[in-house]
Amino acid sequence: MKQLLTLKRLIARIGLALVVLAAVMGVCSLIGTEEVSLKAVFAGPGTRTTVNPDYDIFIRFRLPRIILAGLVGAALACAGVVFQVILRNPLADPYILGISSGAGLGVIIAVISGLNWTLWGRSPIAVFAFAGALGTVWLVWFIGRLTGKFHVTGLLLAGVVVNAFFSALMMFLTSVTKSDQVYSTIFWLMGNITEGDFLVLWIGAGCVVGGIVALFYLGPQLNALSFGADDARSMGVNVARTRTIAFGIAAGITAVAVSLSGLIGFVGLVVPHGVRLIFGPDHRQLLPLSGVTGAAFLIVADTLARIIVAPAQLPVGVVTAIVGGPFFLILLIKYSRKVSWLT
Amino acid sequence: MNKWSLLLLIISCWTAVGAVISGTRQGHGDSDTPMPDRVNRIVSLAPNITEILFAIGLRDEIAGVTLDSDYPPDAAAKRKVGTFWQPDIEAVVAARPDLVITLGFEQQRNLAERLRRIGYKNLIVNIEKVSDLFKAIERIGDVTGGRQQASELTNRIRTDLQRLTARIASEPKVRVLWVVQREPLRVAGRDTFINEMIELAGGENAIGPTLHKYPPIGSEQVVACNAEVIIEPTMGRQDIDNQQNGAMQYWSKFKRLPAVANRRIYVIDGDTVSRLGPRLYEAAEAIARCLRPHIFEN
Repeated sequence: MKQLLTLKRLIARIGLALVVLAAVMGVCSLIGTEEVSLKAVFAGPGTRTTVNPDYDIFIRFRLPRIILAGLVGAALACAGVVFQVILRNPLADPYILGISSGAGLGVIIAVISGLNWTLWGRSPIAVFAFAGALGTVWLVWFIGRLTGKFHVTGLLLAGVVVNAFFSALMMFLTSVTKSDQVYSTIFWLMGNITEGDFLVLWIGAGCVVGGIVALFYLGPQLNALSFGADDARSMGVNVARTRTIAFGIAAGITAVAVSLSGLIGFVGLVVPHGVRLIFGPDHRQLLPLSGVTGAAFLIVADTLARIIVAPAQLPVGVVTAIVGGPFFLILLIKYSRKVSWLT
Repeated sequence: MNKWSLLLLIISCWTAVGAVISGTRQGHGDSDTPMPDRVNRIVSLAPNITEILFAIGLRDEIAGVTLDSDYPPDAAAKRKVGTFWQPDIEAVVAARPDLVITLGFEQQRNLAERLRRIGYKNLIVNIEKVSDLFKAIERIGDVTGGRQQASELTNRIRTDLQRLTARIASEPKVRVLWVVQREPLRVAGRDTFINEMIELAGGENAIGPTLHKYPPIGSEQVVACNAEVIIEPTMGRQDIDNQQNGAMQYWSKFKRLPAVANRRIYVIDGDTVSRLGPRLYEAAEAIARCLRPHIFEN
């Protein structure tokens, strides 16, 4: 870092990032397969007999979808930051410890069992994805703890094996099931953002923003942890406690994101690295800026997914990888000479 | 109070406020109002539903179809609302439908549910077996006010099928292997409408009961199935001659199979036979022609 991070500078940067995010949301809400006139939108929802399609499209579908994409992007990016520092591994992303396959397994079980109910407006798919994600993280964490006190390697290995095992179970269930419905899970596995209804967005926002604030509280401890557990301990940080709390929160917001939108890859890997390359590795700044950048990135990616092959739709995971990959490589080449942690 | 308790308190309040707001908003727009008497703008979310709508004379009432609705040719001129698997809900709403008809697949049911929540009418029909098709046609006829045309259509299909059955009744059954996909090999199993069509056309499925609807099978099962005829429907807009050559080449390794020895491998138009719709008779006839070319020669 060239300059020290002062409170003033931090607030200015976060404020600026939020302004950019608002602008991105504004622009993306005006882009879509259907032309929407804002004048017609402000005319209100219309009556029973004369519907106002502009209002329905804008207020009931497009705006909630953009907000949802923002929440998911923010959650994944922040979780990515945390997993990278806790595991001290630049390849870590929110799915590295098996969340993806656990959630995927939950979804396949929900689809195969043909359940047909809703819990607070969420389908069994979302509920099972959430449960599968959290259950798997707990399992991996539990196995990781059994491997020893400094369980980073143990945790990673447990994550990789549980991931592979659950993926195999998913394949097994997919190939023995009679139901054609499993095909519909493909879209979920590639990441599928649709609009959420009011309560889902509201509670999702509460969980994600709350989680990010909590992680922000842990910023100084995470900074110390990035030097390694021993150094952090010598600086007076309770390593086990910090790891457990940060890990739990990151896993929680990832599970929320996954249950809202399926498996969207790349955001949690690329955004934290991109922000770190540009603004430096201080977690007090890295966490909020990654959150805002992740939100903006996923909103743009989802807007592209909505319009590129219109009127059909692309899975958003495809777009995040196609757009994010080259962009990240450019950043990597341009900035990597300036920072030491890559070498 | 420390910062952690404060955060927890704020999140709890936030959730409670959300629950209250959402509670007061209940009861708007999501009640089940009866179907309108007369339907003027219909969006169809599956190619076979589109075919049914055209077949019962609702050509002008169709306000939107999916990209894969390519029959009858007039469907091409209709507004497109995404694909069967990935419908675009904005495009559906922009078509200002007073009725949206979907199939019972997860993706489609999900869309129907989202539309219903904001007050759009929808009809979900399941078309998985031949009997479902007749029910679906009649149900669509009922809801759209085309009951008469719907029952005429089902009667016509039934009569045509009976005539076909009568024509081939005296013939022995032909063992058919219906290939959905060559690599890896997948075929139509017994619990499918394809199986029903094969039986209507005077054949029987060379593959016995299986767990999957469209089971993947190995070479051993191919040899054991003793198929007399192999049918491959085209996928998408493939060239029939091209696929026929490919099929001949692929199957030549099973020389002992009666279908291969007698060169009875047929590539037929997939659009007609892979879609359970009002062209059911045409599909059954196309299959019957493969099974017994001699009857249809003159």
